[in-house]
Amino acid sequence: MKRQSSLVSEDVLIEKLARRDKQAFQWLYDQYSPALYGVVLRIVREEEQAQDLLQDIFVKIWKSLDAYDASKGRLFTWLLNIARNTAIDSLRARKTQPSGAIRTDDENVHIVDRQHNTEQPNPEHIGIREVVDQLRPDRKQLIDLVYFGGYTHEEAADELKLPLGTVKTRVRAALQELKQLFKS
Amino acid sequence: MNVTEYIESGILESYVMGAVSDQERREVQCLSSIYPEIKAELDQLSEAFEQYALAYSVEPPVSIKTKLLNELDFNEQSEETVVRPLPVDRPFISSFRATWIVAASVGLFLLLFSLFLLSELRTNQKTLASMRESNTKLQGDIQELREEQSQNDQMLALLRQPGTRTIALRGNEKAPDGNMLVFWNRQTHEVAIQVQSLPTLPPDKQYQLWSLVGGKPVDAGVFDPTNGNQLLQRLNRSITQADAFAVTVEKRGGSPSPTLTTLLAMTPVNS
Repeated sequence: MKRQSSLVSEDVLIEKLARRDKQAFQWLYDQYSPALYGVVLRIVREEEQAQDLLQDIFVKIWKSLDAYDASKGRLFTWLLNIARNTAIDSLRARKTQPSGAIRTDDENVHIVDRQHNTEQPNPEHIGIREVVDQLRPDRKQLIDLVYFGGYTHEEAADELKLPLGTVKTRVRAALQELKQLFKS
Repeated sequence: MNVTEYIESGILESYVMGAVSDQERREVQCLSSIYPEIKAELDQLSEAFEQYALAYSVEPPVSIKTKLLNELDFNEQSEETVVRPLPVDRPFISSFRATWIVAASVGLFLLLFSLFLLSELRTNQKTLASMRESNTKLQGDIQELREEQSQNDQMLALLRQPGTRTIALRGNEKAPDGNMLVFWNRQTHEVAIQVQSLPTLPPDKQYQLWSLVGGKPVDAGVFDPTNGNQLLQRLNRSITQADAFAVTVEKRGGSPSPTLTTLLAMTPVNS
């Protein structure tokens, strides 16, 4: 299940994007906007805000395309980082407001999941979802907390009442397990 | 440094999760560009995490895409919509016109050239005619000169002969302007005349030359006046003796005896 299974090779896409090609942008958007929107939605947990953020994210991507260096990492990862960091920054800006602490419990996450995935089931991703669900719950919880919650290891350790070392080991174990799951 | 240890430290996983400090991020980026093993591990982890993120994909509303397409600056040139002008019929028309113009030009040129050739032909014909004319005239002149030349030669031959006498005859009152020469050679008995000027005669009349021997006239031949021609006329008579020469006007062909009333001139030989 590789993203490059599409019509355009990533090199050609990047080259076209650098020339500010409209078709290339449309292709980029069509390919990656569901994944990025999913990530943003999991982080901010609010559709309207997530939509505004998604728009900001693509503007940001468009403006910082020159900064992308294929030798430093994969395009999708780069896009994910922009989306995730933008959403986390927005979340932190809100956190300073008196609206209360972020809820990190799975309950909220699953409400969002249920909302969007039942509304717009994406058959292409159902297989991946099954794979992801094989992940050990404690590891999955940690990924959600760190990646989607924007928690540092220390914050996660505090939240989960675990030693920092355990958190670090568990993050590594979670990713390694994920790696093994998608390898097979 | 120990690459395996670094990979197993968990920093790469934290990097992929976005849970690293800025300094750690730069460190990972730097080391992954140096060590292919680190790069490979990082890519594998990234790809795995991409799949994880993908699992939670949600289709965003179409309005976002529409807004973005309106908002962002695109290089419309790369749309590859090349506008080419439609081919029109002009080239055909203009080539047709060109052909017509060329044909007309060629026709006009040929017409003018024909007229030129015709005028040349006429000029040449005229030139040829005048050349022929002058040629004929020249041939006539040459003929004349040859005749004159032969006359002169004869005269010279006659005069060079030893014993040739030249007797000048002058007209009397009937022919005041009469003037002629008689050449006579005593040894060869030849006689010739050259008319300087004599009155013209009717067609049935001729001049007749007489030699007088002992008071008796002897026929010395007839001749026509060739005024201005100075033609040497040999007279086909053999004159053995002559005291004087005389000229009378006689009927054509001559008379056996001179008509004295028509005597025009007489000159003695030994004058």
